[in-house]
Amino acid sequence: ADYTLRATANSNENDEDYDGLVVFKNFVEAASNGAIEVELFIGTQLCSNGAECLQGVAGGAIDIYISTSGGASGIFPYVQVLDLPYMMSDDRIAEHVLSGNFTRTLRNMALEDSDNTIRLMTVGNTGGWRNFANTKRRVANPADMEGLKIRTVVADLPQELVKSLGASPTPIPWPELFTSFQTGVVEGSKNGITDIMGMKFPDAGLQYVTLDGHAYMGALWWMSNERFLAMPEDMRRVVVDGFYALQQATFASPKRKSIQAYEDFVAGGGDLYVPTPEQKAAFKEAAAPVYDWFKDNVARGGEIFGALEEAVQEAETSVNGARDADLN
Amino acid sequence: MGALLAVLAPLAFVNSQLLRIGRAIGIVAVALMVVAILIQVVFRYVFNNALPWPDEAARFCMLWMTGLMAPTAFRRGGFVAIDMLGHALPQALGKLLSLLLLIVSLLVLAIAVQIGFAEVTGFGGKFATASLYVPGNITLTEWIRVPRSWMMMSLLVGVVLLTLVNVELILRNLISLIGGNDRLPAIPDADMAGAD
Amino acid sequence: MLIWFLPVFLLFLMIGLPVFFGLLAAPGILLWLNGQERDITLLYRNVYNGMDSFPLMAIPFFMLAGELMNKGGITTRLVEFSQALMGHLRGGLAHVNILSSMLFAGLSGSAVADTSALGSMLIPAMEKQGYTRRFAAAVTAASSVIGPIIPPSGIMIIYAYVMGESVAALFLAGIVPGVMVGIGLMLVVRLMADKYDLPKAQRIVNPGQKMAPVEYWVSFALLRINLASLLLALAFGILSQTSLDVSGITTFVLFVVLIGMSHLLLKGLRGAVSEDFRMVCKKAVVPLQTPIIILGGILIGVFTPTEAAAVAVAYALIIGFFVLHSIKVKEVPGILNRAGITSAVVLLLVGAAMAFKTVVSLSHAPEIMADFVLSLSDNPLILLFLINLLLFIVGMFLDAGPAIIILGPILGPIFTSMGVDSIHFAIIMSVNLTIGLATPPMGLVLFVAASVSKERVETIAKAILPFLAVEIAVIFLITYIPALSMTIPRWTGFAN
Ligand code: NA
Ligand code: NA
Repeated sequence: ADYTLRATANSNENDEDYDGLVVFKNFVEAASNGAIEVELFIGTQLCSNGAECLQGVAGGAIDIYISTSGGASGIFPYVQVLDLPYMMSDDRIAEHVLSGNFTRTLRNMALEDSDNTIRLMTVGNTGGWRNFANTKRRVANPADMEGLKIRTVVADLPQELVKSLGASPTPIPWPELFTSFQTGVVEGSKNGITDIMGMKFPDAGLQYVTLDGHAYMGALWWMSNERFLAMPEDMRRVVVDGFYALQQATFASPKRKSIQAYEDFVAGGGDLYVPTPEQKAAFKEAAAPVYDWFKDNVARGGEIFGALEEAVQEAETSVNGARDADLN
Repeated sequence: MGALLAVLAPLAFVNSQLLRIGRAIGIVAVALMVVAILIQVVFRYVFNNALPWPDEAARFCMLWMTGLMAPTAFRRGGFVAIDMLGHALPQALGKLLSLLLLIVSLLVLAIAVQIGFAEVTGFGGKFATASLYVPGNITLTEWIRVPRSWMMMSLLVGVVLLTLVNVELILRNLISLIGGNDRLPAIPDADMAGAD
Repeated sequence: MLIWFLPVFLLFLMIGLPVFFGLLAAPGILLWLNGQERDITLLYRNVYNGMDSFPLMAIPFFMLAGELMNKGGITTRLVEFSQALMGHLRGGLAHVNILSSMLFAGLSGSAVADTSALGSMLIPAMEKQGYTRRFAAAVTAASSVIGPIIPPSGIMIIYAYVMGESVAALFLAGIVPGVMVGIGLMLVVRLMADKYDLPKAQRIVNPGQKMAPVEYWVSFALLRINLASLLLALAFGILSQTSLDVSGITTFVLFVVLIGMSHLLLKGLRGAVSEDFRMVCKKAVVPLQTPIIILGGILIGVFTPTEAAAVAVAYALIIGFFVLHSIKVKEVPGILNRAGITSAVVLLLVGAAMAFKTVVSLSHAPEIMADFVLSLSDNPLILLFLINLLLFIVGMFLDAGPAIIILGPILGPIFTSMGVDSIHFAIIMSVNLTIGLATPPMGLVLFVAASVSKERVETIAKAILPFLAVEIAVIFLITYIPALSMTIPRWTGFAN
């Protein structure tokens, strides 16, 4: 092969990141007629978190890397815009937003802030939507969150969100989370259902899930800009199309994977609660201080917030228009 | 030998002083680590309010503890090695072997210093830590996040100190190779190697 | 091509390059020869990233707690306590040596600390009673490997970190294997006592000891609280079988009643033993509270293991300053200094090994290794046997920490994919490599025992063989009976 691309994801082979990479590898290797080879490193073999891996991308040791918004927020704080609660209402809206110019805006901002070293290729999904889950009680209204100790990562935004809902944010490392549920160090978390079931959290008492869908778990796919631009345009086109295929795969994969996860959760005695539109509106209202916090405290927060708002509006118009057209 | 001793004496002095300062800061860092984690425990269980910063602050201290204190262990011979062969060889040959080994470690350290410098000043250092802040101005009205480079500096300082120690050890080895063993200045607390 | 870094690494190790430099030089050279300069940066970066970890912080903390606890006669208290329990048997001091190691294991996570603390005290005492010096040193070395098997354990913290397991689960899984090693060693002493007519010892070394009022009341309270908590846990165990719902108030009342019961129970026991025996036991209460705090705290979920370690440090300080008056303020910097230097070396080694591990993955060594292992046999029982042999040989030359970081990611997945529980495999690997600390030619614990006893390493290495035989037997028992390690973590819900 003329180009060997080294791609890494910190998850495992059961994750949708891996599904995406397999699709990408297959597409790119076939479409380039073998000129591009993709080498996959799944797990923490090369680097183990966003800061380390993005450093690897900038320095040229890693070509392709998928981070969550939390993972990239140390250098591109505004990517946390994806963690803002209740911005996008469902999969169709989110997919429309992320397929459009919003992602290009994000790409340009990241290129500016990384001295043109790190290029955002696409934004897919990893794990569906974040929901609140806890070991104590059914959460139907924001008031039910009062006093719950909710596990968050060490980052301001999720902590602000948990606080604004009256709960208390507790940073716990992921590997210790199972034990922490069991022993009551924390009483809840904000994760997707596949992560909850993958880690067997219900066995540790996590039995109440509220499908509030407060955040879309965006997967940011980064590539070394130098590596990308060093390819001729026809090869770049293959790579870009490869990332399109990857994005579609990661949009679809969590939907398929979550079916079994939800069934297993309910079969294990779990309480799955879907809030009414009124309750969801109440959650959104309770979380509103987070928007202002984001615009005031996060570098370039206002800029990206505006871009997302605009993209969501455009998506709603377009998707709702399509929906209406399909009704009759 | 006179020339070698003339180079060794000031280097040994400088190393002794630098490592003493390193240990002093290291001691404070160990103490702060314990304090940070205890604060975390107290806030979580007594006040039911987990703080975001103790985890990262304690890791900050741990990395600096490592960078500043490991060179002392290296100087005192506390880096684990299988030294059977060196002991089995005739004395002069054994010293030649350890000279060779010291040169290999010097190479490793020299490359590490180069990379370390590029890392600290490069892109990775620009990341902000997640939860550590320092005052951005004198009136404390503005707080900025501690850049990751302040943490990454610990290993760079560590490998620089290790390099200085390594050079000293090479000089000592050379002097003892040409029979000047009894003229070497002593390494303080050399018996307290402190390896596990 | 890249795979050649493994033999190069072994060569460097054998000619005496410090492990830290070997871990970096060997892969570095091969990457350079392979034209992969960009990955040499990755190597450096992963030394740093490898050390930057919250769970690893437990290593300096447990080191510190052990150092603080070791100050001012705590070792003496544990030894006297062991002697009061086992000194009267034949081979008394040898038994005492082993039991002290088991108790000391609950305070410290390192075998080396155990060897130097107990060895400097017990080897001369055993010699005085007519044991040979090499036997005394061998018992000390063989029993001190219990240190990192019974929690807390530096080695298990490293394993959990590298493999993403729960530290708490590994700690709990190590209890039974650690006790088994202790009992196994005692059986050897028992057999030797018959053969060589080993002497008995007195149960009470220093009769007529006194205790300051503060310590008296602290240990008075601790004993009752511990006993009542144990009874309370039992009561909850029974209640959880019924449908009764226990409220906070009921729990409190129950606890107060149980404290009263404990008091009466202990009062009843008073008459059964002599005044001196009671004093020796009382003096062990305060030090032995440390493992109770660590394990109890982790079990009821108050702390993560790193936090438990920090709390153990705080406990040791409070006890040292205010109860036992065994530590002086001016001694503290020295203690911090020693713990800092020792853990700095360990952390640097962990970092280098994590960097090495990166190159292990880049070279596809795990896949090559897995294919090779599976080509030998597809029977997990046979493979476990072979892996134990391999680990034992590795343990003869390499320290447990680096060996775990390098081999864990290669071997662990092979066995978990064959259905071996990951925690069970962790224990097999940790126990095997820990015992490697006491095997010739490269056993750290042997070296320390040699320097403490002024006996030659080779002589101790010969005298330790019968004890090693038992320890190997224990390795195979825990390999083939998973329940030995898995029962406690399963009971307590820390493993599935
Ligand atoms: Na221990
Ligand atoms: Na012992």
